Amino acid sequence: MTSFNVIRWIVWKDFVTELRSRETISSMVFFALIVILIFSFSFSMDQQAAREVIAGIMWVAFAFTGIIGLGKSFSTELQNDCLEALQMVPEAKGAIYLGKVAANFAFMFVVEILLFPMFVILFNLEVVEEISLLLLIFFLATVGLSAIGTLFSALTVQIRAREVMLPILLLPLVVPVMIAAVEATKGALNGDPLALYEQWLKLLAVYDVVFTVVSFWMFEFVMDS
Amino acid sequence: MIACHGIGKSYGHFQVLHDVNLTVAEGECFALFGPNGAGKTTLLKILATLERPSAGHCEMLGMHGLKDKDAIRANLMFLAHGTHLYEELNAKENVAFALALRGHRPTDRDVKLALDRVAIGAFADMKVRYYSAGMKKRLALAKAMLAKPKILLLDEPFTALDAAGTEILRGYVRERLSEHGTVFLSTHDHDKTRPIASRAGILRHGALQEVAIEALKSDDLF
Repeated sequence: MTSFNVIRWIVWKDFVTELRSRETISSMVFFALIVILIFSFSFSMDQQAAREVIAGIMWVAFAFTGIIGLGKSFSTELQNDCLEALQMVPEAKGAIYLGKVAANFAFMFVVEILLFPMFVILFNLEVVEEISLLLLIFFLATVGLSAIGTLFSALTVQIRAREVMLPILLLPLVVPVMIAAVEATKGALNGDPLALYEQWLKLLAVYDVVFTVVSFWMFEFVMDS
Repeated sequence: MIACHGIGKSYGHFQVLHDVNLTVAEGECFALFGPNGAGKTTLLKILATLERPSAGHCEMLGMHGLKDKDAIRANLMFLAHGTHLYEELNAKENVAFALALRGHRPTDRDVKLALDRVAIGAFADMKVRYYSAGMKKRLALAKAMLAKPKILLLDEPFTALDAAGTEILRGYVRERLSEHGTVFLSTHDHDKTRPIASRAGILRHGALQEVAIEALKSDDLF
């Protein structure tokens, strides 16, 4: 059996489970809406001021909603000891990792796409011309978050205080992603020339490749420990 | 074939298993008895390659338990306390998912036959979250039936099963044995185990002592 089939079945299982339970995405969206509403009421500003701070607000909301989703990614495997069954899959565990990354990425990206119009409306943003660039930034940053977040979700799933430990361990490691995503988003929202913030996109791409490869390799040890 | 060579396991200063040596041949069913906390599940998890022993090693089908994990896992099925079932998936989906990860592609007919054999075919489209404990146990057994493993590990398999379920389980164990499979089970129920077990042992304070299954009485377990 090819590893591709394992990836496909893991993604299928996570999608079907989520479609039926609606636990992960609904809690992510609900949390993000609260964050957005609080910030929108806290800041009364013109469009120029909004463009300066909105990128930071946006990525705070996206990162913390992402952590909610990542936390559930492996905790759902604890029910009926399903994690044991994943550990016993007679394939390299990297395939399970990639399947989980794909599912986590999809959940986070969907939530970001659902929430972005809220930012546009509540902070009165004009984004029509930059929409493709913004989607690229969302894509690259979300790949980075899900790549490293999936590994740490698996690493902390058996820890008693996993809800606390996951953000404590994960957030310091995703600081480069957050800084790059905020800077690139700010540049795109301001309508700056791409050359001014291109380096942040490159940093995101490099981070994605490096941490996906490292996490893929480490996942085998995490699952066996 | 299962062979344990000086298996020891400790958690910190607490010694769970101590120098367990055992061989179970093809076509044999070994029943492991012992009081709660004796280390039965720990030993099963070591055999299932889920736990690493602190001392010694096991061999499964001639393969090293620590070095050839994936090859062993492809030939082994572990029916544990947890049923390894996803509550939001129905019975057919659970079976298809579990077998797909093991590289099997059962046909719809095969899945239906297995579910009918464990007498839950009528609930094949029902989410597992609505199943009783006994039905979950039967579904887990259906997965094992389709996987046809060379080694079958069962952790307290009779728990939650009614008389009919117990007979289905015993029928499947006999089938595996007739096909030269090896079965290793842990249990507290010697009456239900006696008809299928060829050998038995009692685990006490981490040490294994082999006994004649005919001579086992419930008092022996405590």
